Amino acid sequence: MHIPDGFLPAGVCAAGYAVTAASTWYSIRKINQKENFREDIPKASLLTAAFFVVSWIHIPVPPASVHLVLNGLLGAMLGYFAFPAILIGLFFQAVMFQHGGLTTLGVNAVIMGLPVILSYYIFRLRKVWRKDSRLTTGIFGFLAGFVGIAVSVVLFVVILLTNIPADIDVKTEQAAIYALALAHVPLIAIEGVFTALVTVFLQRVRPRLLEAV
Amino acid sequence: MKLGFDEYVHLDSPLHRWDPRYKFIGLMVLIFAFSFVRDLRILPAMVVVTFAILIISRLPLSFIAARLRYPSFFLLVVVLVLPFISGHTVVMSIGPLDVRQEGLISVLLIATRFISILTIGLIIFSTASFLTSIKAMRALGLPAILTDMTLLAFRYLYEIGDDLQRMRTAMWLRGFQAKRLSIHGLGILSSLGGSVLVRSYERSEGVYKAMILRGYGHAGHTQDEFHACSRDIVGLALTLLVAAGFIIGGILYGHI
Repeated sequence: MHIPDGFLPAGVCAAGYAVTAASTWYSIRKINQKENFREDIPKASLLTAAFFVVSWIHIPVPPASVHLVLNGLLGAMLGYFAFPAILIGLFFQAVMFQHGGLTTLGVNAVIMGLPVILSYYIFRLRKVWRKDSRLTTGIFGFLAGFVGIAVSVVLFVVILLTNIPADIDVKTEQAAIYALALAHVPLIAIEGVFTALVTVFLQRVRPRLLEAV
Repeated sequence: MKLGFDEYVHLDSPLHRWDPRYKFIGLMVLIFAFSFVRDLRILPAMVVVTFAILIISRLPLSFIAARLRYPSFFLLVVVLVLPFISGHTVVMSIGPLDVRQEGLISVLLIATRFISILTIGLIIFSTASFLTSIKAMRALGLPAILTDMTLLAFRYLYEIGDDLQRMRTAMWLRGFQAKRLSIHGLGILSSLGGSVLVRSYERSEGVYKAMILRGYGHAGHTQDEFHACSRDIVGLALTLLVAAGFIIGGILYGHI
């Protein structure tokens, strides 16, 4: 779900970098306001690498399999470190696997990164509800995972289809948007369930990990 | 686990010797200039420039071709779909499907830009070690939090990947096989993912202590390790000139 190099006009790529720069600046400003932010840097870094690795786990969806994006879970666990973590993950993918791209890094960071901030706030809402309940954690974990990937899919489909083709018929374009969005529904549901299960697992095994670094 | 990274860093070429800061600025501006190209007449120039830089870098063509294989699947989808749905001028018909001129032009533009940008991107990060490239980005003003996180994440990526591989092997040896989508299977896979996260978190606590012992957080005098000479500046000026040519061409011969 990353837009490759060469697909978007220069103006859109530049706008993507501008929004990414502003979001990164905002995240770093929030991180710097924390008392012991240096202590959190190794934790956030290793968890960034871990998220990158966990996304290699393939979930069987016969006849094929899907790999998860986990941006909702990342937002829930990393808080303000989540946006820089997404940016770094996308950079690794572009440089190591040529998945995504360098000119589209900003746009892809917007697609994947902006929803993580939303997921972070959604997951934080569980504290208002009932503390330390596995059911509450599971429900808000599901919502964080579900909303994180759903918003990313909407952004991806809209940006991709409104920018690539020069002369697509409006009806064809609308049909393509609906088809692409519908094709992602199973992934969105699986991401939600997987995020809920991981958050419940972490609450049982190491609850500290759910208190955003 | 190896990612086949830094494979050709040891080669000796003008691009390997180019100051990484100037190389990064010059070639990044060039790939952005490539995304300005919206006219078929400029495509041959883009291909020639890309090929010339590739030859100067001395990177084997097989390396670039192997790296382009995976992302080309996305391109294939566009090649197979766009000519049939984009545009109005029908140039030929294949059964019930009409091949349209505007769609074919879009495919040609996208494919050439895609291959050129990807090739230059590979050259940027394959003619210097990853560590050097990140240091160059830090020297150019990338925030320390981002560079620290990038280097630490890169450092532990291989080890965490090996952790996952070991745990997967252990699961298979105990009889787990994920063949169907079920809540039970998802539960086991989520525990696998959660365990990777817990292990990484625990490892990070030790890493932080080791970093503190080595003086992390105490700003010392860090000597700038990059020293540009006139050759580096001339290289940058030339690359920016070529990039400016593509931007002007893009503005004159196409809409942005």
